[in-house]
Amino acid sequence: MFVLTLKNLFAHRRRLLSTALAVVLGVAFMSGTFVFSDTLTTTINGVVQVANENVDALVRAPQPVSLDFSQTGVTIDGATLDTVAKLAVVAQADVQIVGYAQLIGPDGQAVVDQSTASTLGFNWSSSDELNPFDLIDGAAPVNGDDIVIDHASAKRSGYGVGDTATVLTAGDKRAFRIVGVADYGDSDSQGGAGAVLFERQAAEQLLTSPGQVNSIVAVAAAGVPQEQLVDALTAALRESADAPLEVITGQQLSDENRDDVSNSTGPFKTILLIFSLIAMFVSAFIINNTFSITVAQRAREMALLRALGASRRQVTSAVIVEATITGVIAAMVGLGLGVGIAQLLRALISALGIEFPDGSAVVSPGSMLLAFGVGVAATVLSAAAPSRAAGRVPPIAALRGLSIEIVGSSRRRLALGAVLIAAGVGLVLVGLASRQVALVGLGALATFAGTAVVGPMLVRPAARALGVPLSVTGVSGDLAVQNASRNPKRTARTASSLMIGVSLVACMTVLGASMTSSFGSSLDKNFFGSHVVEVEGLDVPSGFSTQLADEMRTTDGIDVVSEFRLSRARVNDETGTTDLEAYDAATIGELIDLGDVEGDPAKLGTDGIAIDSDYAEANDLQLGSQIPVALPTGNVVVTVRSIFEPTVWIASQFMDTAAFDELLPQGMVYRVYALGDANAVQSVTDGFPTVQVLDRDAFLELVSSTIDQFLAVITALLALAVLIALLGVANTLSLAIFERKREIGLLRAIGMTRSQLRTTIRNEAMIVALLGTALGIGLGTFLGWAVVRSLEDQGFDTLTIPGVRIAVIAILGAAAGATVATLPARRAARLDILDAIR
Amino acid sequence: MTNQPSSNFATAAARVIDARKYYGTGESEVRALDGVTVDFAAGQFTAVMGPSGSGKSTLMHCVAGLDMPTSGQILVGGSDLGRLSDRELTQLRRDRIGFIFQSFNLVPTLSAVENIALPARLAGRKLERAWLDQVVETVGLGHRLRHRPSELSGGQQQRVAVARALAGRPDIIFADEPTGNLDSRSGAEILAFMRHVVDEFGQTIVMVTHDSVAAAHTDRAVFLSDGRIVDDIDDPTADSVVQRIHTIGA
Repeated sequence: MFVLTLKNLFAHRRRLLSTALAVVLGVAFMSGTFVFSDTLTTTINGVVQVANENVDALVRAPQPVSLDFSQTGVTIDGATLDTVAKLAVVAQADVQIVGYAQLIGPDGQAVVDQSTASTLGFNWSSSDELNPFDLIDGAAPVNGDDIVIDHASAKRSGYGVGDTATVLTAGDKRAFRIVGVADYGDSDSQGGAGAVLFERQAAEQLLTSPGQVNSIVAVAAAGVPQEQLVDALTAALRESADAPLEVITGQQLSDENRDDVSNSTGPFKTILLIFSLIAMFVSAFIINNTFSITVAQRAREMALLRALGASRRQVTSAVIVEATITGVIAAMVGLGLGVGIAQLLRALISALGIEFPDGSAVVSPGSMLLAFGVGVAATVLSAAAPSRAAGRVPPIAALRGLSIEIVGSSRRRLALGAVLIAAGVGLVLVGLASRQVALVGLGALATFAGTAVVGPMLVRPAARALGVPLSVTGVSGDLAVQNASRNPKRTARTASSLMIGVSLVACMTVLGASMTSSFGSSLDKNFFGSHVVEVEGLDVPSGFSTQLADEMRTTDGIDVVSEFRLSRARVNDETGTTDLEAYDAATIGELIDLGDVEGDPAKLGTDGIAIDSDYAEANDLQLGSQIPVALPTGNVVVTVRSIFEPTVWIASQFMDTAAFDELLPQGMVYRVYALGDANAVQSVTDGFPTVQVLDRDAFLELVSSTIDQFLAVITALLALAVLIALLGVANTLSLAIFERKREIGLLRAIGMTRSQLRTTIRNEAMIVALLGTALGIGLGTFLGWAVVRSLEDQGFDTLTIPGVRIAVIAILGAAAGATVATLPARRAARLDILDAIR
Repeated sequence: MTNQPSSNFATAAARVIDARKYYGTGESEVRALDGVTVDFAAGQFTAVMGPSGSGKSTLMHCVAGLDMPTSGQILVGGSDLGRLSDRELTQLRRDRIGFIFQSFNLVPTLSAVENIALPARLAGRKLERAWLDQVVETVGLGHRLRHRPSELSGGQQQRVAVARALAGRPDIIFADEPTGNLDSRSGAEILAFMRHVVDEFGQTIVMVTHDSVAAAHTDRAVFLSDGRIVDDIDDPTADSVVQRIHTIGA
């Protein structure tokens, strides 16, 4: 039986090719996702670890709020270094100072695009072992005006040793002399980030504050293990330091960094994994359809086997074995393609403007095995039902012709489909209301399944309706309609696979349009300013100097100014951390609609906080309530001095910029809102090359183009699922053509021209594709509507269904269907008539 | 009943001049047609007979524009098939030739009447109402015309096939063993029906068959053996045909 299966597979290799292709693409995408994210994590980790390669111990202040590796926290007294350096167990020690610093090129533009990579300033360490930078030209910085820049920035800007360059820091902007150019480890930059290295005192002044450093790093004396070093440091510092300090081993630091990197790349991995699972789900539909069709086509063969004495079980397992072999081969090919897909993903994410350091592809065996397993399992599971159907073919069928497909009793089908759809819709709504993504996903799945179940009943009327415009092609249109509805189950399964991808695209389209229109209406109603100033490029939190707002406040023609700052914080002892916002509390009400305000925001002071009424209600807070707030620089308790109405423009709570000035020296400004004359605003921002000024229209434009860009990337990721489904359309057609060989021969004999035949097949594909697209658009619009509705309280007050874009999706769907049918159509047209009718 | 001369040039619906069809080369060469010259007179019902492998089907396929002879000339209604492109051949089959195959004659997704009108629709024409009515009446299927082929008996399906071939008023209809899949009663009905079509409408029919009873319904029987015409008789009867077959030694 096994030999027979193998022979069968070989004899019908072409038929299985497209099944295999679906698996190949699914597995390739999944393994590509793994390769991409593993590579990303490993590369970033490598970049991060170079900095602390030789560090055996690190001394720092305890961290009240855990921060990402790129953020800076509580500083410590720089004099601690003397205590550390004196110890016999310490071979070398130095301070680490890090903060925002942006090098401005000779053209007045930022050298490193802040929206895609970080730009940091450091102190130049005189310890060779502790300094990850190596001079390739010039010398180390000696006085406060000297800087060393990274090699990549030097290449990009054209700066060399001896040039003068402007550097922006959190509180300052001034000229420095470039005294050296340095490589970072083996590469010319710190993973694409820009680096400016200052002499220690200048670094303290510009990046932290005089006498303050971020941490102290030490190298152990020969033969001293890291733990012993840490114990010695802890003991020595307990006596001398006035504030409590934390000492960790180099290994712990490295582990922390690795976790930070995984946490920061984790979301990418998850999102990509979701898309690859969607693609795999669509593949499963295609595989199931192919096996169903081929089992039906081979009913006589199965029956003959049964008649010759094969058991049901043998026939069933023959199909399963066939599926397994197909799955294994296809999954292996898919793994091979995965590395290429990883490159594509990288290009796609880069298109979004997010830069990643270069690194060779990391192919981890565990990830590959998982992708392989999922591919094979999807194939075998999808073939399970068709294989049972194969076993059920009665031996007597060997003597009959091909059976005609009968769509099971409509009432049962309708009932089952309706139940599934109702349950799915319910789950989606409940999931959205309770913010449980898993429920939403499950609901969407049930809705897909339900639509697929009722699908066969829709095929005939839908094909007829869709065929109306096709009747211009005469008899080709009529025949296509007939052909599309002769196997309703098959057509429905094919269309359903397309429906999945299309519905997600449609859903995202509705979401994107609604986001844009909601934002637009809120801009009209709730924003009173004239200008928004922020860093150019994408909204990755990156900021600019506080000096900008200071200058604006004193400029004639600018009436109202408010900064918008951010800091990681844990508010009110909640479990997670949040971005705590700060505004100019006295003026923010003139720029953003705060509704009916209780208490005067202007009187927040440095120990007050404003909260919105929802937050107040949820946490049982009133004016005068005390809230603990953990900031990177320490713990404070603040008093609720104002309660405002919830708005999309401001998070649940905010503090005054004056408080951030005190609590978070060297804080960055994320955005400035202003009301004033355009020329006056421009005159200030001209001095700050990293920022852009947006008037109300430009701000709306920026937000909508950012949304569109994300939409484009998500659509590109979903395109694979759509592509696999289209392959399925082509595959179903090929199988149908094989089955209808005699009929095609007859049509050709009685005078159907080759081009009429091709048109007929393309029309049929178009009907199937349009059916899938139409179902997808319907379902997607519903999902989009549901998501928008559930986010109503978060400012999604406008549901917009973008008619033109949706029409474009439908047209593209039909066109794609006709396109993928080209090959099967051509093959059909080339059929030898005499062969076909014999 | 007409009894025309067997090769009347002026009224020939189709002519075959020295047609040869060879497959393979050297030792394995098969001569399916080995110099066949024959005219099929307009308005005549002709049977092409011969044992399996005699070349009768190849001859029909070549005259019907489904296959090309290796050499020789084939003329249908004045067109030299050798000079036609694939597209022109297709149009010739559509507009000037009718087909009746042994089985699987009808498109399963179309009703009987839609099948009858199919060649005209492929040509982008509408059948003349009166003519269609006349054809449909001749078929005698009445209310079953709206049925799909799977709902018709084998005999009914073949009747529809004859009507389909007739509806386009082709120069010539080719029938390939049209009764081969039918029981003798249905077979006889179809043959009578074809005879009727020839007499009533002056339709030219060429029928490939190895059944002497079927041949008895025709005006003329042409006998092939090993790719050559070995005999040609007018007004065949079952007996005369059987006798010839014996003489040929098939």
